[in-house]
Amino acid sequence: MQPEYERELEAEIDRELKGLQALSAPRTLAARVMSAIEGQAEMAWYRQPWQMWPAALRVGSLVVLLVLFGGLCLAGQRLEHGEEFIGAAHRLGHWLSGASALGNAVSVLLNAGVLAAKQLGTGIIVAALVAVALGYAMCLGLGTVCVRLAFARR
Amino acid sequence: MRNYQNMVFSTAMRLVANQAEAEDIAQEVFLKAYVRFDDLRDSPTAGGWLRTVATNMSLNHLSRYRSRWSFFSELFSGGGEEDEKEPEFEAPESIEEELANDDRRTLVEQALQKLPPAQRVPLVLYHLEDLSYEEIATKLRVSLGKVKIDIFRGREALRKKLRSRIGEETRAA
Repeated sequence: MQPEYERELEAEIDRELKGLQALSAPRTLAARVMSAIEGQAEMAWYRQPWQMWPAALRVGSLVVLLVLFGGLCLAGQRLEHGEEFIGAAHRLGHWLSGASALGNAVSVLLNAGVLAAKQLGTGIIVAALVAVALGYAMCLGLGTVCVRLAFARR
Repeated sequence: MRNYQNMVFSTAMRLVANQAEAEDIAQEVFLKAYVRFDDLRDSPTAGGWLRTVATNMSLNHLSRYRSRWSFFSELFSGGGEEDEKEPEFEAPESIEEELANDDRRTLVEQALQKLPPAQRVPLVLYHLEDLSYEEIATKLRVSLGKVKIDIFRGREALRKKLRSRIGEETRAA
């Protein structure tokens, strides 16, 4: 490719394209947008985008999410450093072991869980809990999509 | 909305080259703007925001609804342009009634719409949206070299189409 030819070509096309004016939008566009906005406004608040929720609900949802996150972090920390939790697990295991062989198995499982929690650390536990929450949300979302598709076909 | 509807529609139309799809995209852009109406109402950058959203939504639309292979493939860059689907574009009402500049703009617009997407999209992004080669490569997720080649071929194809159309018009006149 020759630079001179390229420059001349670029300048010509740039001139042609920059000289274009805006195309006229179809007359139906404004009406379509207004109708869609009205349709959206009639939807229940929880079906609207989060930004359109009432301010109190937006703040509330943020607080709930923060509390959940804080709870997860706290639970992870407790599991890691909780001697009392180990003791409680032992006591629970003791009570159950007296009842049946099933109790022994539960006790072993609980102890294993506590040990695993201590070994893994807070980060991994929180990550695992978040992964479970995300999995749950994904199932919920897929279910919603299926329901909407089912209704949309009617 | 009336101040920006032509700009938003033009942006979408020049990228997707289909009036119905461009109208759908424009509608989605204004719905997004409605959600952020409080921020945009008095913002001096509202026009820029709308233009960027229209561009991004058009590119998303193209990559979602057309096979990436046929869209960005080198195959499109070569011949076979005659096999391209004719874009839905309104014909000029009456050539005699329009001024020479309007005629030319209409011809450019039509020639642009007839380019294959692999050439038209980077060409529009470069010349009309003022993006750099690097920005286009990032947006289209293709190599910098491919962007440069597609734009060069697009310019050549556009000039060829324009010259042939102008020649036809001159002969007809």
